[in-house]
Amino acid sequence: MTKTPKLLVLAALSVAVVVPVAGARSSGGTLTGAGSTFVSPLVSLWSADYRSKTGTEIAYSPVGSGAGIAAITARQVDFGATDAPLSPDQLQACNGCVQIPWALSATSIIYNLPGVPNNLRMTGQVLARIYLGQIKRWNDPAIRALNPKVRLPASDITPVYRSDNSGTTYNLTDYLSAVSPDWKNRIGRGVNANWPAGQGGRGSSGVAGIVSNTQGALGYVDVAFALKNRLKFMALRNASGAFTTPGLRGIVAAAATVKRVPATNELHIVNPARGDRLAYPISTFTYVVLPVRSGKAAELRKFVFYAVNPTQGQKLGPKLLFAPLPKVVLVAAEKTLRRVVQAV
Amino acid sequence: MLAPVDLPLSALASRRRLADRAGDLALSGLAAAAGVGSVVLVGLIVWKVVDGARLSIGHFGLPFVWHEVWDPNRDVYGALDLIYGTSITSAVALLFAAPISVAIGLYLSELAPRGVRGAVGSLVEMLAAVPSVVVGLWGILVLGPFVQQDLEPVLGSVLGWTPFFRGPHHTGGLLPAMIVLTIMIVPISASVCRELFLAVPTELKEGAIGLGLTRWEMVRGVVLPYTRGGVVAAILLGLGRALGEAIAVTQVIGSAQGINVSFFALGDTLASRIASQYQGALTHLAVSSLVYLALILLVLTLAVNLAAQVIVKRFEVRHGH
Amino acid sequence: MATSLARRRRKNRAMEALALAASALAVGVLGLVVVSVLVRALPALNLDLFTKNQALFGQRGGGLANAFVGSLLLVALAAAMALPVGVLVAIYVGELAPPRVALAVRTALDVLNGIPSIVVGIFVYALLVVRFRQSALVASVALAIIMLPLVARSTQEVLALVPRSLREASHALGVSTWRTVLRVVLPTTLGGILTGATLAVARAAGETAPILFTSTLFTNSVSADPRQPVASVPFAIFTYSESPDPNLHRQAWAAAFVLIVFVLLTSLGARYLLHRSRRNLLAR
Repeated sequence: MTKTPKLLVLAALSVAVVVPVAGARSSGGTLTGAGSTFVSPLVSLWSADYRSKTGTEIAYSPVGSGAGIAAITARQVDFGATDAPLSPDQLQACNGCVQIPWALSATSIIYNLPGVPNNLRMTGQVLARIYLGQIKRWNDPAIRALNPKVRLPASDITPVYRSDNSGTTYNLTDYLSAVSPDWKNRIGRGVNANWPAGQGGRGSSGVAGIVSNTQGALGYVDVAFALKNRLKFMALRNASGAFTTPGLRGIVAAAATVKRVPATNELHIVNPARGDRLAYPISTFTYVVLPVRSGKAAELRKFVFYAVNPTQGQKLGPKLLFAPLPKVVLVAAEKTLRRVVQAV
Repeated sequence: MLAPVDLPLSALASRRRLADRAGDLALSGLAAAAGVGSVVLVGLIVWKVVDGARLSIGHFGLPFVWHEVWDPNRDVYGALDLIYGTSITSAVALLFAAPISVAIGLYLSELAPRGVRGAVGSLVEMLAAVPSVVVGLWGILVLGPFVQQDLEPVLGSVLGWTPFFRGPHHTGGLLPAMIVLTIMIVPISASVCRELFLAVPTELKEGAIGLGLTRWEMVRGVVLPYTRGGVVAAILLGLGRALGEAIAVTQVIGSAQGINVSFFALGDTLASRIASQYQGALTHLAVSSLVYLALILLVLTLAVNLAAQVIVKRFEVRHGH
Repeated sequence: MATSLARRRRKNRAMEALALAASALAVGVLGLVVVSVLVRALPALNLDLFTKNQALFGQRGGGLANAFVGSLLLVALAAAMALPVGVLVAIYVGELAPPRVALAVRTALDVLNGIPSIVVGIFVYALLVVRFRQSALVASVALAIIMLPLVARSTQEVLALVPRSLREASHALGVSTWRTVLRVVLPTTLGGILTGATLAVARAAGETAPILFTSTLFTNSVSADPRQPVASVPFAIFTYSESPDPNLHRQAWAAAFVLIVFVLLTSLGARYLLHRSRRNLLAR
């Protein structure tokens, strides 16, 4: 009978060692959030900065916009984050939620083609045909026509998409639906799609992972991911005919098309109309979803005010290619934020 | 500790008897609760899965099983793609894993020298415990590039005349999934086969050798027929494992739509689709359809499990275990 | 006839060569997987892995401290649930239940063993997460369900090895059933029970699918609070395996290596315990 007591003591000791470590929580409490992988690079920066300024910990899980919406609807977390604005059905299911645009960036089209230079030229129509499985090789005439000076290999294209429900997918399909009637009819816009061709990955991380692991692959991720992992991304032709890359100027130019913000805060800035030659056509706002009545209303308001503030949260954005919110959007965001009140 | 039969004090004895009865009651109560609880648990799991799938069943009915479209945008779902993916990857994996497991079992029980038997046997047993996420990690980072850059080009040029080895080469797909599943089935099936072959009575084996049969003839004529039921059961158990494998498969199979004859194609399985879409499912119908997939998976694995149990029972009866 | 014998011998050699080749190929590939893990894990096996928390986006380095602690917590809680229940079920089936009921329970355990872990995850999600949110406790319930049949089966096997004479002698001396079980039967089978326990723990430590439903929304710091979701090693390997970052890949290999070593040690320990237990029982 000597084995059992020994094992029990060992188990008890390990728990005893671990629990005090765990008990040391941060002094200011925790806000939990989940959702968009698109915004997670910026939220990581915010959480480090916010903790040093206020002591409150922001625990964010980048599980994808769809999972974020599901999590906040079920009140499993304090806030959700999504790049896809909530549909009326989803707003209703969320039972008293508001969405607030809190960051602005762009979706880059990344590719893995050794020997081919960065910023290959692409149009939305050709991209739609690639994702529809109609264009299968890199040296297809359509791609060659856009890049006459580049020697494109005859290798297969593996289009990579998000297998989980993703706001980045929403952004891309929003754009493809705008520029390709074929795409709009066959696939449409949404956080997921009936992808006719290609390989699925989980999260921005998963898509970037497959693209960097597979020669000839092409995918879509927020530009912060592309930069951080040194992935090549394409220059897309905008409605003005210029080929633009997802840099700060391109994003700011696209966001400048917002003249007024609707009551739901839903904003679409893909494929901005002819006008600014700098605009990048797959830019998007991303939203935080908050319950109107919450037990942590004060902390949530404080955090989101910090996030949208031009001199605080927004100032951390540019190095990750998140452009500051335009004034009109900032005003709408703060106005919505004031609706969040303490639950009784 | 023995009862103090020699103590004269009846009070002590009766208190002892009370403690005995109370203890017996407690033990049988707890044990019965645990035992019956296990049966209830299984029933509860089946019920919860059926209940969760109810909305989708009501919406799509049985045709869900042969409907091909899975479109979250239009809230239309069908399981055919996934049933195909599950079936083809498990079937081909089994096609390779079964003979390999039998071969390893035979090698470790009949052919290997003494020292090797112990070492390799232990190695195979321990490999059975490698978690699937580790096999998947290897599948993405090591197997994937090898498949895309080396294996599929070779298979395509040698066997490209068949419909199974055509099409573009990816790092993921049905082929890496089949390889990964084979790697997961073999250790456990091989260990079971080895035990079965070792359990064949030596008189039978030695008798055959004594009659002049070669070792292979002895295996074919004595060992394999004797263990037939057990080997089939072991293979079925491997199949059950392959059908339900979610993680390693979802890491390498590509999470794609469509039914493709070629093994180079990307695809998806029941378990893998559930793993990739459940957390973010946004409509009740989407969630329910994913649980409907789980129900189909449950039915498949229960059927395979049941078949294995029936075969084992008949096998035991025949050999009087 | 000499030619027929020669042909038979040739066939025999051919089949033996085939068996050897198949075994070598299979064992070779399996060994390759393990060696791949080992070779790629070495660069990342440093103290940081065990002391730093998971890196946030853009940070260099980082470790898996919160994942290791989280996994320890999950497995400890799951074992605390599965072990007593598993042993009780085995006692019920082996000692107390009428034959028909025992058969039903044994069948239920076999069925439970064959249920894919992702279905267990859905079950626990529908039953518990929907009502109580994600937490380490809920995740361990899922793991305990997976561990239960393993513990029950190996306890059953060892209980069956206990000679009837031992129990009968104890009863003849007037010892009650519960005392017999607790003080006579269980101690002799402890080795076998621990075998089942260690095998079940090894299995639970590597399970990822149930965790997807029960413990993904965790914080980036070490936590052993069972009421909150926790990080875990299999989930970390899963997410890192899909990332493009070579730094995270290295950490995934290192974590995989730790898992394999853990599984190896537990299965070696289990075999040793089983040997000892069998030896003790058969020596009576």
